Amino acid sequence: MRLLAMESEQSVEGDVRGWLPVTPAIAGPDGGPRIGAVGMLVDALGGMRSITAAAPDWAFTADLSLHLLPTGPIDRLRADIGVLRRGRRTLVLDARLHTDDDRPAGLAVLTFAVVPRPDHLVDIVIDTSPGRRTMSQLEGDQPPPGPYHEELGLESVAIGEVRIDLRPEVGNTVGALHGGVHTALVDAAAVSLGQSLLGPAAATVDLHLAFMELGFAGPLRARAELLGRVDAADERLTAVVQVLDRTDRICSHATVEVSTR
Amino acid sequence: MTDRPTPSFGEGNARGIGMAHYLPMPITELGDGTTPLPTTRGAFAAPAHVVDAEGRLETGMLASLTDSIGGMTSGLACLPDWIVTTNLSLRRAPDALRGPVGTGDLTIDTRVMRRGRSSVVTRSTVRDLASQEVATSWITCAVLTPAGGPPPFTRPVKLNHLEFDADPLYRLSPTEFFALEAGPRPGVVRLHPAVHLRNPWGILHGGAVAHLLDSAARAVVVGERVPGPTPGAIVSDLTIHYLNPGREGPIVAEAEIIGIRGADVMVRATARDTGADDRLMNVAVMTVRVLDAEVRSA
Repeated sequence: MRLLAMESEQSVEGDVRGWLPVTPAIAGPDGGPRIGAVGMLVDALGGMRSITAAAPDWAFTADLSLHLLPTGPIDRLRADIGVLRRGRRTLVLDARLHTDDDRPAGLAVLTFAVVPRPDHLVDIVIDTSPGRRTMSQLEGDQPPPGPYHEELGLESVAIGEVRIDLRPEVGNTVGALHGGVHTALVDAAAVSLGQSLLGPAAATVDLHLAFMELGFAGPLRARAELLGRVDAADERLTAVVQVLDRTDRICSHATVEVSTR
Repeated sequence: MTDRPTPSFGEGNARGIGMAHYLPMPITELGDGTTPLPTTRGAFAAPAHVVDAEGRLETGMLASLTDSIGGMTSGLACLPDWIVTTNLSLRRAPDALRGPVGTGDLTIDTRVMRRGRSSVVTRSTVRDLASQEVATSWITCAVLTPAGGPPPFTRPVKLNHLEFDADPLYRLSPTEFFALEAGPRPGVVRLHPAVHLRNPWGILHGGAVAHLLDSAARAVVVGERVPGPTPGAIVSDLTIHYLNPGREGPIVAEAEIIGIRGADVMVRATARDTGADDRLMNVAVMTVRVLDAEVRSA
């Protein structure tokens, strides 16, 4: 998360707004943000929104869908997170995405599983007071980050297959692979498949992702498989992408659209 | 008027079986019925009055099929508890949106991917007669203990192996069967939760909601106030979140265009139960692909 230098602001009502600087490190072929980085933004902001919405319980992301619109080069992406429903066992949030000049940039919907607060988090105090703040950033003496996927440590294994070592930097509060990193893995595997079939301009434009199991057993890898055939005329493909742990257990399951447009 | 009856599993009335008669798909549990994570197969025989001119099922109704088989398969994994669908994702293959691929009869293979304490995830793969994968879907269900108990099953399950029903209701076009009404502008569509559109628990069938939302999304994209077939425009992917049940009606869907990417139009749609204080029932995000250049330029 430190690589992205995201900011957030919580309203008195608890709703959350956040910003993602769109640097070359996270830009896709059209200059807009890659879906893997946007996934981290909405997952992190959604998690923040869930703290007050689920209180006194806790919430884990169960699934998310994310659709992006072409923006071209922009300075920042803004996400506004609201609560659609707080039930006894599920919490549903949506995120509306906009460019810094207020053009629509996409939509996300997230489902959280509401659970009793885990023992190790019972005493944790999280600042949910209103106001704008930097979520996390690099120290001043650290060099500016390189390409996001490289900084995460994603490695290409084969066409449509990418792996990552489980390190503290890519883990969540319980030490499993962070939900936002799942989206980056899925994106990277899908783009790998897409570039091999559609060319270098291929980018993931939307994804539907279900989290199955916590990814504790690294390394983890994502594998993309084509659904049907490539639409050569429209330069797009659809794929199923799964994130597997070291024991081949499915940690997340996604479907994606990859396009050159 | 509230309709919260005891469950009915097709004992001589249309509630609980109306959708199954309209979209006939016998479901068979594979294996001997003892595995904790069941797998099932559905065989959808595409009636001519349900599909479009090419023989293709609309995406909302395809979602109805994956909801039915995914829900049942999830439920089998939870017995003696049962489930309710909380969200559904479906994506069609890009080469199955026009032409012969993905038309006609379909086979849907479904398996449980995860059975947790409080939720279940199933994956369905849809194939056409040439055994080509034409769509993929996953649904998430919440586990619950239903009033009246789960549906009665003998394992391995054979479900919806229904006798032919001569009721002309089941020979109607989708527009007539779902009886959608135009709203004040394109993308606003109204549905009355008639008894044949309800599930065994008396609430609006998830598949009927999927058709309503799909219809609203296509209507707003083509600029038609009256819902119905939209040749040249098809939903290529959808996610539907089931937030609250539809009980009273009328149910009103509203679709808004969020933006455009080439031939794809991103649409957000909601459904509300206007007879229940306008309660938000569903939120959906869909991509409508405009295949027809004339529609696109318009």
